Amino acid sequence: MAVVGPTRQRWLLSQPATAPDDAAVFTRRAVVVGMGNAAVFGGLAARLYDLQVLNGSQHGALAESNRSRTIWIPPVRGRIIDARGRLLATNRELFRIVLYPQRGTTRPDVARIAAELSPRFGVEGAELEARLMTALRQTNPLPVILADGLSFGDIAALQLSSIGAANVLVEPRHQRVYPELSVSAQFALAHIVGHVGAVDRLSLDDGPHLKDPGARIGKTGVEAGAETDLSGVAGRTVYEIDARGRHVRRLDERAAISGRDVTLTIDLALQEAVTATFATAGRGGALDGPPSGAAVVLDIASGAILAMVSTPSFDASAARAAGPQWRAYTADPARPLVNRATTGHYPPGSTFKMVTALAALEAGRVTLGEKIECWGEVTYAGHTYRCWNRRGHVATDLHRALRESCDCYFYEAARRTGIDAIARMAIELGLGQVYADAGIAPQRAGLIPTPAWKRSRASRSSPSSRTGWLLGETILAGIGQGYVLTTPLQLAVMTARIASGRKVIPTIVARDSRDPLPEHAPLAVSETHLVALRRALSAVVNEPGGTGQAADPGDGPTLVGGKMRVAGKTGTSQVSKASADRDRTKPLARTQRDHALFVGYAPADAPRFAIALVLEHAGSGGTAAAPVFAELVRLLIAHDTATVQLRSKTAPLPKEG
Amino acid sequence: MFYDRPKADLLDRLIQFPWLLIAVATLLAGIGCVTLYSVAGGSVDPWAGRHALRYLAALALAIGLAMVPSRLWRSTAGAFYIVALGLLAAVPIVGVDALGAKRWLKVAGVSVQPVEIMKVALVLALAQFYAVLENSRRASRPQWVLFALTIIAVPALLTVRQPDLGSAILLTGVGLGIMFLAGVSLWWFGGGLALMAAAIPFAPALLHDYQRRRIETFLDPSRDPLGAGYHIAQARIALGNGGLDGQGYLQGTQSQLDFVPEKMTDFVFVAIAEEWGFVGAVTVLALYATVIVILFVMALKADRAFAGLTIAGTALMLTVYVTINIAMVTGLVPVVGVPLPLISYGGTAMITLMIALGLAMSANRRA
Repeated sequence: MAVVGPTRQRWLLSQPATAPDDAAVFTRRAVVVGMGNAAVFGGLAARLYDLQVLNGSQHGALAESNRSRTIWIPPVRGRIIDARGRLLATNRELFRIVLYPQRGTTRPDVARIAAELSPRFGVEGAELEARLMTALRQTNPLPVILADGLSFGDIAALQLSSIGAANVLVEPRHQRVYPELSVSAQFALAHIVGHVGAVDRLSLDDGPHLKDPGARIGKTGVEAGAETDLSGVAGRTVYEIDARGRHVRRLDERAAISGRDVTLTIDLALQEAVTATFATAGRGGALDGPPSGAAVVLDIASGAILAMVSTPSFDASAARAAGPQWRAYTADPARPLVNRATTGHYPPGSTFKMVTALAALEAGRVTLGEKIECWGEVTYAGHTYRCWNRRGHVATDLHRALRESCDCYFYEAARRTGIDAIARMAIELGLGQVYADAGIAPQRAGLIPTPAWKRSRASRSSPSSRTGWLLGETILAGIGQGYVLTTPLQLAVMTARIASGRKVIPTIVARDSRDPLPEHAPLAVSETHLVALRRALSAVVNEPGGTGQAADPGDGPTLVGGKMRVAGKTGTSQVSKASADRDRTKPLARTQRDHALFVGYAPADAPRFAIALVLEHAGSGGTAAAPVFAELVRLLIAHDTATVQLRSKTAPLPKEG
Repeated sequence: MFYDRPKADLLDRLIQFPWLLIAVATLLAGIGCVTLYSVAGGSVDPWAGRHALRYLAALALAIGLAMVPSRLWRSTAGAFYIVALGLLAAVPIVGVDALGAKRWLKVAGVSVQPVEIMKVALVLALAQFYAVLENSRRASRPQWVLFALTIIAVPALLTVRQPDLGSAILLTGVGLGIMFLAGVSLWWFGGGLALMAAAIPFAPALLHDYQRRRIETFLDPSRDPLGAGYHIAQARIALGNGGLDGQGYLQGTQSQLDFVPEKMTDFVFVAIAEEWGFVGAVTVLALYATVIVILFVMALKADRAFAGLTIAGTALMLTVYVTINIAMVTGLVPVVGVPLPLISYGGTAMITLMIALGLAMSANRRA
């Protein structure tokens, strides 16, 4: 230090001479300490800047979740009601006891709760204790359901005084219940109503209340298909909580919005009658046992699904109990739990000829009057393709080819038209797709093959199987064989679209009676071609030589003033090569026999109902499926006249040319 | 100086007083009251009111001590130290248990923490010791360095055993700081640092289980988020919630809803930082820096070694308190239980610091 004041020199009183620098040492070191101090405080300020400003929002975001707890209030699920107001699914109010784990719930608390609850609910105390401790160890603990399914009386009988303090709450909840129905009704409705079940991993993100272990969502049937209508919107109560998890005050409250009741287009009585009729199909015919297969009845104007049968079916109430009966159903090789009407993949067979016919006409590859020769078989590129009629149909035009289901005609029509145009027409008619708004689940899309599809499939499987689209594949697709797969629901939609000329969209949820009928867009097909096609479909049933004459409901269902005519198309879809190459004298094993199909609509002149039928391994469509169609039409008319006095849709039929 | 010092009357003494120092200290205590009002959920009870009363009492005590000529402190420093050491040594034998630690003595119905007395006594004893040694060359001789280290280490070790790691660190820090200021050769400090570096691997054996756990948790807070790591994690959330300009007074959700543990004592700084943000936190830091600068200026102006070292020792004490406390709540050092002087609720630390300030002000007067 250059300047040392007079007071400084007295720093060391006794020996100023020995250490003249000591005051300077003190000053120097004090400055060092001061600078170190400034550095340390600067470091602290920098740390605060880092925590509060640079990374503040990241930590601050935790503050909100830290101080609030949201208790979700599950919405009451909508009921399911049949077309005549019969209750098919409803709810029952029950109570459950839930522990909301909180910081500060200690092992002794847990032991006390476990000891108190275990004798009342028959749970092992140690097991309950272990469950609680596991839950408490989570960073963000889920509520633990201590007891469920309690009635109001059970709750009243419980003395919960000693556990009341430990965030144990009694919560009301609604359990799905299905009213008692007759066994036949249970079987008839099993695939339609469906069931609810625990939330799967994929659906967990659909709503925060679904994370509750007691939450249920629709799994099958209308329960799954109309989930968005039925489920409603969860309510919530947000509490401000302190560090121990105690509720300080209510920050926000929003009531749950109950799910909408869903009224079905299905009338239980009709559904049961259709199921019963279907169950007797094929008796004494080719089938040597109960039939398996599916039937779908559509109201053409609205797209309403009036009946939907899938056999074999199951007792829904027994299956929902999830007991041994459920396991028996899952193990049954006949697969009764599968809804064949919406997920059964069947080659459409000759019913697909309607698609090929329209595609060829629209593309101009065949004309209505043009005749194509059939000699029982035809050869393209070295491969021979047979007609079902080995004797051939000689020269046929489109009308006759459809009436008699000539294969050669459609081989040639498909060859000329090409697979892409056929696939476009199939999609236009409703094949190869699921109907997301139909209100029924699950559904499968079927398969309308195209060269693009084959390429993508080949690239996914082994590269060695990569061959281009073959002509033979177009030719087989032309008669609904090869790769083509459809579901009975899709076939019914196709039939309804051809009958109406509009893009009918199926639904199992009834529209509000005040709403206007849905306005279905017209098909992109010329009216001339549709009229010609319909005339041919009527000929299938009503003209000599038609393959579907057994579908004629006969004189039984006379509507007021006259006989009703129907129209349709038979289909016999080949399941195994054996049926084509067989020695016709030997019977085939059941699983190798052809599927019998019939699709049609009634009445022929003013279509109201569209029906698709698939009878697995029942033989030919004309002999096995067409009679069932006739019976179903009689049933529908009887049901119709019994319920509604039929409007005068019974003008005398025009003569067909 | 133009007045006759021995005859200086009361008025003169008051005029000589470092009023700025008192004003800043009072401001800090006021911030303490305001913050304690907030963390109590907007209530004078149970902390803010008592804090104010305690500060006023401690301030009166400090001013009273400042009136006493510092030569009295100088002449009794050795005896004071020995008495304090005796009390500290008596704690393990006749002390009172509280929260798993034996820190208190009950004397005539009054609870005292001997370590708090020792904090003041050590500053005085070291200042007196170096004043007697008279120059830095003697101060650097091995026997005197050893002597100084002994009078620091004995109370520090007794304190670690209580256990009270925070106070032990404070005693050691302040003691070594005074040795440095007194001019002990830098070679000793260099050697000491080397020795400490060598001893670090053996440190865990000397620590209590809970102290070791705190250090482990400090190194990895996520190891036990609801246990020992809870303090650090919650403090960090609250600091982040404060942001640049804070949630606003009485709006600090984290500190008011008990998420921040010890929000009124050791972690009170978190409540300030949450409600007033980075701006408020740095302001408080600046106020402490102001007090420390005033004390160092006083120390540099002192005309005696004893006075200079006493004042500087007080500055060091405040520095160590503030540094460890804020480093602790911001997660820079393990949680060791050091309060924020003048702001944290709790009488002991405030009275200790105010006594030290009183002695510093006494030393500031020309004797």
